[in-house]
Formats: sequence, C-alpha cells, structure tokens
Amino acid sequence: MTKRWVSLFASVTLLTTVLSGCGGDKETAKNAAVADETKPLEITWLNILHTASPPTDTIKKLLEEYTNTKLTFNWVPDASKEERITTALASGELADIVTLTMMTNSSVRSSLKSGLFWDVGPYIEDYDNLAKIAPEIRAAASIEGVLYGVPFQKNLARSGLIFRKDWLDKLGLPVPATLDEVYETARAFTEDDPDGNGIDDTTGFGDRSDLRYSSFKTLSSYFGTPNGWKVDDSGKFTPEFDTPEYLETMNFSKKLYENGYLAQDFAVTAKTDQQQQFAQGKTGIYTGMVDISSLRTLAQDLQKGLELVPVNKISNGDGQYHIWSEGSGVGGLMAFPKSEVKTEAELKRLLQFVNDLIDEEAFMLMTGGIEGTHYEYDENGAYKILNTELWQADVQPFSSSRPSEIAYTLKDANPEKQLANELIRENDKFAVLDPTVPLDSATNNEQGTELAKIITDATFKYIMGQATEADFKKAVQTWKDSGGTKITEEYEAAYKLTQK
Amino acid sequence: MILPGLLYFIVFKYMPMGGLVIAFQDYQPFLGITGSEWVGFKHFIRLFTEPTFMMLLRNTLILFAMNIVLFFPLPIIVALMLNELRNRHLKNWIQTIVYIPHFMSWVIIVSITYVFLTVDGGVINELIASLGGKKISFLTSPEWLRTIYIGQIIWKELGWSTIIYLAAITVVDPQLYEAAEMDGAARLRKTWHVTLPAIRPVIITLLILKIGSTLDLGFEHMYLLLNSLNREVAEIFDTYIYTAGLKNGQLSFSTTVGLFKGVVGLILVMASNRLAKRMGEDGVY
Repeated sequence: MTKRWVSLFASVTLLTTVLSGCGGDKETAKNAAVADETKPLEITWLNILHTASPPTDTIKKLLEEYTNTKLTFNWVPDASKEERITTALASGELADIVTLTMMTNSSVRSSLKSGLFWDVGPYIEDYDNLAKIAPEIRAAASIEGVLYGVPFQKNLARSGLIFRKDWLDKLGLPVPATLDEVYETARAFTEDDPDGNGIDDTTGFGDRSDLRYSSFKTLSSYFGTPNGWKVDDSGKFTPEFDTPEYLETMNFSKKLYENGYLAQDFAVTAKTDQQQQFAQGKTGIYTGMVDISSLRTLAQDLQKGLELVPVNKISNGDGQYHIWSEGSGVGGLMAFPKSEVKTEAELKRLLQFVNDLIDEEAFMLMTGGIEGTHYEYDENGAYKILNTELWQADVQPFSSSRPSEIAYTLKDANPEKQLANELIRENDKFAVLDPTVPLDSATNNEQGTELAKIITDATFKYIMGQATEADFKKAVQTWKDSGGTKITEEYEAAYKLTQK
Repeated sequence: MILPGLLYFIVFKYMPMGGLVIAFQDYQPFLGITGSEWVGFKHFIRLFTEPTFMMLLRNTLILFAMNIVLFFPLPIIVALMLNELRNRHLKNWIQTIVYIPHFMSWVIIVSITYVFLTVDGGVINELIASLGGKKISFLTSPEWLRTIYIGQIIWKELGWSTIIYLAAITVVDPQLYEAAEMDGAARLRKTWHVTLPAIRPVIITLLILKIGSTLDLGFEHMYLLLNSLNREVAEIFDTYIYTAGLKNGQLSFSTTVGLFKGVVGLILVMASNRLAKRMGEDGVY
C-alpha cells in the first residue's frame, strides 16, 4: 500500500515538472508572432465571467478573425474574483491582458502602483478608438496621474429601482417619484395583498447582503448622501457615513425593516436569491435597472401579467435628483503585465487589439452576436435578440468584456429594456461622482477594506435594530481612530495637489 | 524507496515553509522575497495590539472547546452503539446513511441550513409561525451562531468519524468478551469494561491530534456562516486570514496570523502529548 502511494506522489511530482516545462515553448511562439505582423497574435486574457458558464467558441472565432489574433480566455467567475485576482497578482500567474474591475481593492491598487503593469498613457493617442476616451475618464482611471491600463468605458451611473407595474396598477398607486411614495409602495406591496391571492405572502422591498450594489447606496443617493466622500469648498473631506443624509437613509431602511416591508433576512441573502424572490412574486421592488431583462426571463412562467417599470428619478421631496456613480464611468482596467508583455512592440500589438474591439463590427459581435442568428433589427430599427438561450450561451459572457459600452447606442426592441437604457443615459445628468476615484491614500490601500467592515457591520446592525444611533457613532469613531483619520488626511493632501 | 516520499515532503511541505519569512517583511509580490523590505516584528505587534485579536482568540477558543466537549465524544458513543447491533444489514444500512453528509461540501450544507432557517419563508420559521410562535432570525443573531455551527459539524461529520472507532473495536480480542460473559457481565458491563478500555489508546491519539489543530476550525464552513451581524462571535483566525490576506492583499500580515496559529497548535500538541504520557498512555510520539 505504502509503495503505491509513494509512486503516485513521484509520478505527480514528475508530471508537474513536465507540465511546467511546456510553458517556455508558448512564450517563444508568441514572440515570433509579434515579429511577424501578418500571423495571428496569440493572446491570453484573464477575464471576469459574469454568467454561470463560459461562452462557446462561436463568437470567439469571429473575433479572432476580425482582430487577427488567437485568443485564450482564462475566465474568473465574478463571485470569486477577489481571491482569484489577488492571488494571481500575488503569485504573478497572469496573462497578456488582465481585467481588473475592483479598482478600490487595496491589493489591486498596490500592485498597480508597484509597477507590475505597463503605463499605457503615452501610447493611447496613437489608436483611433482609444484616442476618443474622454479626458475625465482617463483622469478617473489613473492613479496619481498614471494610466496603468485601458479603462473600460461604462455609463456614469447605472442605478435605479424596478417596480412591479401590474401591482401598482392593481392597488391604484402611481409610479413612485419621491421617497415617501417609495415607502408607501413598499407598505402597500406588503400589506395590501398586491397579488390578490388573499394570503399575506408578499414583502415590498427585496434586498441582499450588500450595501453598495443593492438598495442602500441607491436610496442614500436619493437622500442626497455624497458618493463616498463629501468635499467642501475648503477641501475638507468627510466620509459619507458621517453625514446626516446617511443617517436619514439608515432610518428609512430601519423603518422599512421594522415594519416588515423589507425582506427580513436581507443581510444573508445572495443576489440570485433576491432575484428569485422577485421572480416568484414574493417581492415587488428591486434595485438595479440593468437586471430588468433577466428578471423578466426568470419570471417568465412564474408570474402571469408581470409588468415592470424602471425608475431613476426619485427625489427626497425637493425635486432634485441624484444618483451615485460607480468609478466615474470607469469599469476597471484592461492591464498589461510587464511579466507577460515583455516588449513595447508586444504592448502596441495588444493595444491595437483592444482598439479593434471597439470597432462597430467587434462591438456588435460582443453585444448581440451574429445578425440573423442571435439578433436582428426589426422594422423600426430596434435591436432584438432572436434566441435568448443561444445568445446567453454564445454572446452574453462577452458583453461585459467590451472595452466600451458607450461607443454605440442600440435601440432595444423590448420596451422595458429600452426604457431602462434611456434612464441609465439620463442618469448622466444627476450622477454624483466619488471625489476619491483618481486620488490615492496609502492607508486606504493597506487597511481600507478592513476598516470599511466596521461601518458596513454597524450599518446592517442599525437597520436591523441591533444598534442604536450612539452605537453607530461609536463605530464611526472607531473607524476614525483605527486609521480613518489618516485616510481623510491623505485624501485631503492628494486632493490639494490636483487642485493646483 | 523512501526517496520519493521524502521528496514529496521536502517539495510540498518544507520548502513552502521558507515563505514564512515574509511575516517579517513588507512583502511586495513584484519585488519578491529578496527584494522586499524587512520590518522585524511589526506585523506581530500589530496582530497582538489590534482590538480584533482578543475577539479572534476568544471566538476560536470557544468554538474549539465546543468541538472537543460536544462533538468529540459523540462518534465514540455512536460507534459503541453500532457495535451492539447484531443485525448486520441494518448496521450497514445505518452506517451508509450517516456517512453520506460527509461527502457534501460545506456550501451545500450551509445552503440547506439557509433554506431551513431563513425568516423569509424558511421551513423551520414557517413551522414556528404556523404554531403561533414568533419567527426567529437564526442566521443573523449572534446567539444562534455557535449552535448552528456545531450542529452542522455533528450532522456532517458524526458518521464519518465513527469509522476509526469501529475499526478499533473489531480488533478487540473476542476471548475478553467470552471471559467477561463467564463472569456474568451483561451487555452494558462488557462495553464499559472491555470495549472502552480496548479503544482507549485510539481515543487518546485522536484527541491529541484534534487538539493540535485547535485553531483550524475549518475556514470554508465559518466563512459561509459569517455575516455583518454575527461577526463578533463568528470571525475566527481562519476567516480573518482570508479577508486580510487574500482579499486585501496583506500577505505579510496574514502570514503572521497563520504563523501564530501554527505555533499555538504545536505547543498544544506537545503539552497534551506530555500530559497523556504522564497519565500512562502512549501519546502520539
């Protein structure tokens, strides 16, 4: 028995050695391809996967043809990106192109600053599509003025609410336009039996264990809370959770929670569960307008007469609109590690590739797939997906890899989706930017994520009635004492430099 | 023939230990071990002075104690009970059933728990509500965390842990039972005076090994249970290392925490081994 194990280990060890030996050949092949411009360039791409499974090869082949490359994707599921990307950065197991979406993550920031990646700033003007990247976007994507990759261009702000329109109609309620109306809707959706089955089985607000991408941050925008940090005229920084508006938002959510208008276990609910609850008709309000078509797909056979309405303009009564912006229109970076991309020539070829992906043909391949197979334009020129399942398998995973989402505007044949798209564009007008996006703070890079937990925990506890206002204030003080004050000072100093 | 085995341990166990030096550095992946700055005991000082340290230590020790007191004796009892079953088919059948949870991942077990315990339509809470009781938020209240944690461990590992005791029981000399029977011992007496003493060395050995992994409470399990509301009782060294190290990229600091964990484990094994020897047992080495 022992002997067998020993030989097994020996063969495993051998195999590992043999496998790692193979790496070298690929490297040489790649360099050769760079030298010869006509040969397809071999590109490996460490990319984030936002769908359940990786795409089929259909679109990949066409993209390869269009860009004259040979692509190898290394997909990282969105749910595990934090540990996968940080380990990849720490171990140097990278690819030619690395998609970095978590720009605020301490480890991502410190590896960018440590010089792991090429500074693409000096090259970007040489490519027609990349040159069009707006200066604000470039500034927002830079760290201390250095652009460590090609920014993913996104809409400025994508948040908003989705209501069950059929429930509103049944109860004779208007589409909410103020926070009071949102509250009243949540109440009515819970207490007035909106699905008309005579059973008390609905909750107004669905939510999940996330303060940023679920309802809390969106609601806080409506209350007028600054996005991340408030900067006053003298350049003084105040964190958002130290403002009265943040407290108002917490009180609003707390009231919803206490009365049972907010899903009671939201603090332990995952996104998929939240969507399921909505699709099954258990909840009637959802945060995140971009999910509108997937909610409809999920609810297809479950909810008869389902009608959805996206809403982006909610005021706190003063008629003013605000919505927080994620990364000021930057969805992350496509970065090129120096360990993989050794020469300037190689970098230029990769930039050409990224540039090509923004061309209309490549954009449409990654958005809709093949015309006639995956999508078509109807008589009004509206874009319509022909076969959702096929589109999901072949195309959808690519749509979040598009270097630019804003390069072309499509008219969607699904009116709900089209409305949501229009509202997202309208959000540009009242987007609230996070002033720290282009700023850097060493303490925040090191301890920021850890410190943020203090506030997140306290906020959850406050909403769920397990902490008082005094407890929350104490948590804010703890945050300040454990490094928050230092972060504030560092941001103020960095901000001063940009103001000169 | 010992060489490949030796190689395995050198390559996969001893060489990685060299990486522990980064606990004394401000490690930057890009610079590597040779290029990173040495900072002495900076990370250790941070660990011991951070307010979270006492919380981590307390949570880890309490859960460990529950593991030893509540979980450890159970497989022994179950093994003894299974041993008394004379119907072989029934015994096999029971064994198979209790082994099954061991093969499920923690993700599945925690998800099943979620389905049962959630306030928004969970089976148990619906039951409580239908009986006129008030729903309990099991998953978000710190008071319930430990109960759920140990309950899940018992459900998942109880059957599997009996295997080794059952194996130990099968080698007990049948003559001892016959002799006991001659002396008029009934079933319970035989279990108490023959079976239990016979498997005592196995129990002691397993106990010492268990104590050695004191601070290894199972990262995956606790990470899945952890949320903003039960953090004060649920955050343990394993989950802390994960969030500080892997998610925030503080590689040096999390190495420090890991090293501390390892040292405490080593001390405990040596202490309990010595104690076992003093009590006249063999110990593990």
